[in-house]
Amino acid sequence: MGTPAAGSPGRIPDLLVIGAGLAGLMAAQTGADAGLSVRVVAKGMGATHWAAGTVDVLGYLPTDDTPVHHPLEAVERLPEDHPYRRVGGAPRVARGLARFQELTQALKLPYVAREDGQNWWLPSPAGAPRPAYLAPQAQARGDLERKEPLLIVGFAGLRDFYPRLIAENLARQGIQARAASLPLNLLTPRRDVNTVQLARTLDRPDPVERLGRELRALARPGERIGLPAILGLERHLWTWHRLEAITEAPVFEIPTLPPSVPGIRLFQAWQRHLLAQGVRVEMGMAAIGFQAAGDRILWVETESAARPLRHRAGRFVLATGGILGGGIAAGPDGPAREVVFGLPLAVPTERRHWFRPRFLDPAGHPLFQGGVAVDPALRPVDPRTGQTIYTNLHAAGEILAGTDSIRERSLEGIALATGAAILPAAASP
Amino acid sequence: MFTTSWHSVNLTANECIKCNICTSYCPVAEVTDRFPGPKYAGPQSERFRENGQPHSPDRSVDYCSGCRVCNEVCPTGVRIAEINARARAQMVAEHGIPLRNRLLGRNELLGRLGSLAPHLANRSLHNPVSRLLAEKVMGIARHAPLPRWSETGTLHHWLRRTAAHRRRAERKVVYFHGCATQYYEPFVGQAAVLVLEHLGYQVIVPPQNCCGLPLLSNGEFEAAERYHRGNVARLAGFAWAGYPIVGTSTSCTLTLKEEAPELLDRTDSGTLALKQATWDIFEFLRERAQAGELPTDFRPLGTDAEPLVLPYHAPCQYRAHRVGKPALEILSWIPGVAVRESLARCCGIAGTYGYKAEKYTIAMDVGQELFDFVRSQGPGVRLTACDSETCRWQLEHGTGIPSRHPIEVLAAAYGLYDLEGRRPVVE
Repeated sequence: MGTPAAGSPGRIPDLLVIGAGLAGLMAAQTGADAGLSVRVVAKGMGATHWAAGTVDVLGYLPTDDTPVHHPLEAVERLPEDHPYRRVGGAPRVARGLARFQELTQALKLPYVAREDGQNWWLPSPAGAPRPAYLAPQAQARGDLERKEPLLIVGFAGLRDFYPRLIAENLARQGIQARAASLPLNLLTPRRDVNTVQLARTLDRPDPVERLGRELRALARPGERIGLPAILGLERHLWTWHRLEAITEAPVFEIPTLPPSVPGIRLFQAWQRHLLAQGVRVEMGMAAIGFQAAGDRILWVETESAARPLRHRAGRFVLATGGILGGGIAAGPDGPAREVVFGLPLAVPTERRHWFRPRFLDPAGHPLFQGGVAVDPALRPVDPRTGQTIYTNLHAAGEILAGTDSIRERSLEGIALATGAAILPAAASP
Repeated sequence: MFTTSWHSVNLTANECIKCNICTSYCPVAEVTDRFPGPKYAGPQSERFRENGQPHSPDRSVDYCSGCRVCNEVCPTGVRIAEINARARAQMVAEHGIPLRNRLLGRNELLGRLGSLAPHLANRSLHNPVSRLLAEKVMGIARHAPLPRWSETGTLHHWLRRTAAHRRRAERKVVYFHGCATQYYEPFVGQAAVLVLEHLGYQVIVPPQNCCGLPLLSNGEFEAAERYHRGNVARLAGFAWAGYPIVGTSTSCTLTLKEEAPELLDRTDSGTLALKQATWDIFEFLRERAQAGELPTDFRPLGTDAEPLVLPYHAPCQYRAHRVGKPALEILSWIPGVAVRESLARCCGIAGTYGYKAEKYTIAMDVGQELFDFVRSQGPGVRLTACDSETCRWQLEHGTGIPSRHPIEVLAAAYGLYDLEGRRPVVE
């Protein structure tokens, strides 16, 4: 809970960020770091609440099904219009990630990279190894390249985590794993809870002690204990360390089906951190329109109960997400459109060219590779002419063209790298 | 009965992607098994409430408090709280409504009756025996923070008494006070009138009805519609004439802006004019500030060394306006005030929800997050601030610390109002 920065009547912020996913938060942080006054408006909670809570930088190249081991080294093999190349390649990507890591230290939710610069291979909720570049410490403990056998523990009646599925799948891939299940009433008297509610329960000492004792009895010597990612919401590090202390075994988290506790932890801690720097993150505010004079945006309007609310600012960042995040929408008969500024999109206009015939086509679908094309300062351009459209509008994250980030496993990496690159060199101190 | 039509509210159920973010933030689902969460009770159950389907799959939607936190966090714009309100109306139409809910929905009637003899009304209601009886017979929780009728007259009494001192000016604004200000807390209305006059406005306070929200929340849509028509008849003329209609009760103004038109499917020009003319008072003041017209002749309410530490909670009904937290912004401009922003989701009371015996404990459990926040601000906290009346009563009930409407704080900063005694400095 923070104290708002002292303002004065009628003060116009330097920077308005639209969207509160990782790209929007990183853009806001970058503005605040540069001493700008910043405000964030968002329609609802962002992709942090859906995703696994890791930072995936690059798992696969667009044209290749073999996994990438060194994401930063592979950046130069991406097409030129890829957002990583747009912001200046591997060094700029690394700079955004470094700032993020430093920040997560301050948030007491440290994210760690492998020392050799390779991707981690971590168990997915289905028991498949998945590549991730930065992982919260508690997820990194589940590194599948280490040899200690795994004990995957779930809770009977918890709908979003299936330990047997995970263990069996891992075992089929040659990873030594077994499953166990504990009763839900070990943690809560409730019959029907989701992972976030359980995480709040595990912010309290008593349930942590009870869980620790049961786990200690279950685990065999040398095993690592994998749990659903519910180890505390506000006091995650404390909960996790306490469980490792009681069990005297490595304990790790496996992401669950959404909502994502690791993502929500990060979002909430970051939101509080921004608020302490005077940056408000306003929820429930859907940007629906704007006013421009020539090549400058004057204000953005958000929907409210009675009348559009005007947000003036010196500079604007569009971080509303792609198709899933709602930054790009398409009606049943219309073309895909960018919802706030009506920016031209680099997407095949005709609907029949959006998708390839096979759902899991290895080449992906053109629609998902489309988005807003940008210049090197991340300002949207007309994809046909290359002309910059507005001089004070930048775009970051999943809305950008040139990437199919879910296939590439680059969603968070792009969000952080582009969110950190929204300020032209002149505006940075 | 009121027929629910294929209206945009219900259609937003199709936008649900089942991400369960709403369930994770729902303050009610977090503390009780009786409410399975917004996704389940709202968009999911909506599939069974389609035209031609007989009824809701179960009655759990009755445990939705209507706080609208789900709408606030939904990434795809599903109008979950409104879907739930309509589902409750359908339940009331099918199964009837308990006398208790009928009574709680009629805030205006209760206010008016009690104000005939407020001393007597307060003594008859506010004693342990009556409250126990009310719980046993009616199901009104005996510890719930029911308000006291004003014993110094209603807001309209004060306006009549001070008519000669009221500012007359070319610029005019209409004040919508709501039932609580009229009958229980006329001083909030006094503070509002004084501040608006300080900005140079003449304040018109026309006769008005209850906004209808308590009836909407309790599923009595027909009765709510009668109130709403009354307000349109009495206020739309001012809206057409171009006067802003400004309110201090965040849930009343939300109802005029959005809830009544949307839930009751009213698209007449009077409803629309009223919707577009209505402002929360701080939303209005912030707009004035942006135009450079908010006086800044603030007197400090504390010192730099010893500021007035003011925990502020923006009620969920305020956040549902989607205008940000203008009261927080303006209070932070007052020298000597250290505003501490609550990020708690809901105080729990949710209008009449926490008054109901079977829901009182849920409401208190929900409010714990807010009560803990206030306590965490240290023992020196003398006052809290919140824009909504029932929330202030719940805040006082949960923390034992007096609570004020931000407009009272602002009026005090302009030197017009006694924040301790809750009365104008000059009558």
